[in-house]
Amino acid sequence: MADAAPPSKSRDLDKLLLRPGNLVGPTFDPGVQVFFLSVLIFEGFGYFQLRDDLQEYARVLVVGAGGLGCELLKDLALSGFKNLEVIDMDRIEVTNLNRQFLFRLEDVGKPKAEVAAKRVMERVSGVNIVPHFCRIEDKDIEFYNDFNIIALGLDSIEARSYINAVACSFLEYDSDDNPREETMKPMVDGGTEGFKGHARVIVPGVTPCFECTIWLFPPQVKFPLCTLAETPRNAAHCIEYAHLIKWDEVHSGQAFDPDNPDHMKWVYDEAVKRAELFGIPGVTYSLTQGVVKNIIPAIASTNAIISAACTLETLKIASGCSKTLSNYLTYNGVEGLHTKVTEFVKDKDCLVCGPGVLIELDTTVTLKKFIDMLEEDPRVLMTKASITYHGKNLYMQAPPVLEEMTRSNLELPLYDLMDKIPKDVLHATGTINKDDKKSSGLRKLRVVFKGIDGVADMDMAGGA
Amino acid sequence: MNGEELTEQETALYDRQIRVWGADAQRRLSKSHILVYGMKGSVAEFCKNIVLAGVGSVTLVDDREVTEEALSANFLILPDENLYHGKTLAEVCCDSLKEFNPMVHVSVEKGDISTFGVEFFGKFDAMVISCCSLAKKKLINQKCRKLSKRVAFYTVDCRGSCGEIFVDLKDYKYSKKKLEETVECQLEFPSFEDTISVPWKALPKRVSKLYFAMRVIEQFEDAEGRNPGETSIADLPGVLKLRKELCETNSVNESQIPDALLERLLMDTSEYPPVCAIIGGILGQEVIKAISGKGDPLKNFFFFDAMDGKGLIEDISEPKPVS
Repeated sequence: MADAAPPSKSRDLDKLLLRPGNLVGPTFDPGVQVFFLSVLIFEGFGYFQLRDDLQEYARVLVVGAGGLGCELLKDLALSGFKNLEVIDMDRIEVTNLNRQFLFRLEDVGKPKAEVAAKRVMERVSGVNIVPHFCRIEDKDIEFYNDFNIIALGLDSIEARSYINAVACSFLEYDSDDNPREETMKPMVDGGTEGFKGHARVIVPGVTPCFECTIWLFPPQVKFPLCTLAETPRNAAHCIEYAHLIKWDEVHSGQAFDPDNPDHMKWVYDEAVKRAELFGIPGVTYSLTQGVVKNIIPAIASTNAIISAACTLETLKIASGCSKTLSNYLTYNGVEGLHTKVTEFVKDKDCLVCGPGVLIELDTTVTLKKFIDMLEEDPRVLMTKASITYHGKNLYMQAPPVLEEMTRSNLELPLYDLMDKIPKDVLHATGTINKDDKKSSGLRKLRVVFKGIDGVADMDMAGGA
Repeated sequence: MNGEELTEQETALYDRQIRVWGADAQRRLSKSHILVYGMKGSVAEFCKNIVLAGVGSVTLVDDREVTEEALSANFLILPDENLYHGKTLAEVCCDSLKEFNPMVHVSVEKGDISTFGVEFFGKFDAMVISCCSLAKKKLINQKCRKLSKRVAFYTVDCRGSCGEIFVDLKDYKYSKKKLEETVECQLEFPSFEDTISVPWKALPKRVSKLYFAMRVIEQFEDAEGRNPGETSIADLPGVLKLRKELCETNSVNESQIPDALLERLLMDTSEYPPVCAIIGGILGQEVIKAISGKGDPLKNFFFFDAMDGKGLIEDISEPKPVS
């Protein structure tokens, strides 16, 4: 059995993956399947080295080339994945070097994605890594559809929310409201802070998506203005007073730049003065930076552990060889060592991974009216929406060239633009305004036109 | 690095981690000396983590030549035969590690570690041993314990999808944060020999099966004069026979150590990169905690199995005498 295959340098991976595995085919059933590593019995239809599949077919995108991203790229490459891409908009800084081991002192200032890709390709023969030095929002949605699995090494809720919405937008439901397996885009998401971290598997339509479990996050620290202005009690209050209130009073018009050391020093000095006034200890320059820049304390070992856990899950998803983590692992190395896996449940009413926000319209409603409606609809709250339909741009807010090209669609009835199909799915990207916060977002919209006779079912509509 | 205070360069480079464990811990790290034996994948990962963290020095011992197999799980080796030809594993890894952090002194020590004297081990604050036979582990651990100075002792063993870490910190005093206060704690660790001598019957039933399976394989290799990891499925009958004997001696049921687990350990002898990263990450954490004297240490075995993704800590020690 093993003799039939050419000996490869990663003999253990060969044994691990000695089963044919389609990415999301008939073998994919996360709730039920458990395969043993040393499979000694082979089914009648034979087998093929899954490592060849991994080499030729599996395409994995790593989002982020920082603490988690560097480790993810190394682990995935060593594990046999041949086609990787990595996207990151940042440049390398000195404070990255304590854990982002692919970077050297002389790399400071260069784009993370490019240096990371280069270094891993030097170390692991046969892997190809394409770097993308840009924001995740700068890519077309279809860019993300090219990948079999998306691995996330991000450091913010907003970024995760965005990628989650993109991956879930590919999910289609059939006429029985069941998610279609072949449209599921699995994601593996890692996050770390100090000695703590998490790794989770998101399979849109099966497991909860990022939005389904957004309540897991504690409320983001936001000091009430009256506390900052009147009754500070700790060092962070003094710092935020200087940063959010005093700065504007003194520098009206000039934006505060957290990367400008003079600005930071000014905030620090003001915070010290205020702390002295109120007899509050603990204001240091380091704390000032931490509060103002929202610095996340980070060490190499936590990133290594979480990224490796994510890589294991990526391997399992790609090969269908073993039961995946179900579905949220938390890790805590502060007091000894503690890990726990929790099985969270999908929110069936989720606006992101569910069948989509249901919008009923008259056939006369124009695209412009539709876009305006999205601003007010409490389930969407999206401004400056761009609309796509089965990959076709109906209206793009940017860039100017595309805006000009699609502007004439605004006056046309949406019903006509959607090929006069009684109901179908649209994607809207734009700025979502929720709880006083603006962030880039994507929403799946299920449009149903009223008063059409003989509504065709989704299957036929999708096939048109 | 030489003075008492951290240099400006160190403060900038280590900013993110100083926010985690404090400047005092960082100072202690920068004065620490670590000995590493056996440059396998998990050990390479461990070295990466402590070099990035900014320890004072790392001394590598491994006179074996670089092979294709070593390449598959060791990120420190560039896959260019021209570069590694004629060099030992330790030498190639040393060159790579220096690049990760020029402030750490990385060097190579040649020779058979079991012949090194007690004074040699006294130069270090912590040591990590891998690719080691049962006899060698006992010997080195004993030499460490002879020292009046405490040298933190760790063994690590990764086979395929499984990994094991053993920790011996002798008489260990440390501090930890409990709510707002700092509490002083003390733990006594048994030596490696004492630990594996604990009768199996005395251990709770729920102890990881991996503990027992590893001890069987370890003893098998010792009895057959094999190097660690030099096994194959052909050894299964011999291993099952040994299991029978050991279980009888220890008065435990053979079902404690499943056949399937022993088969996996015999066959999957090379390393699995993500498992190396997890084990290397945890080991790095433990060494950093031991040197900084902060936080509960792992006591005294850690097991990981990629099949179920579980990481388990087992305290294998003599049960306390009941009066």
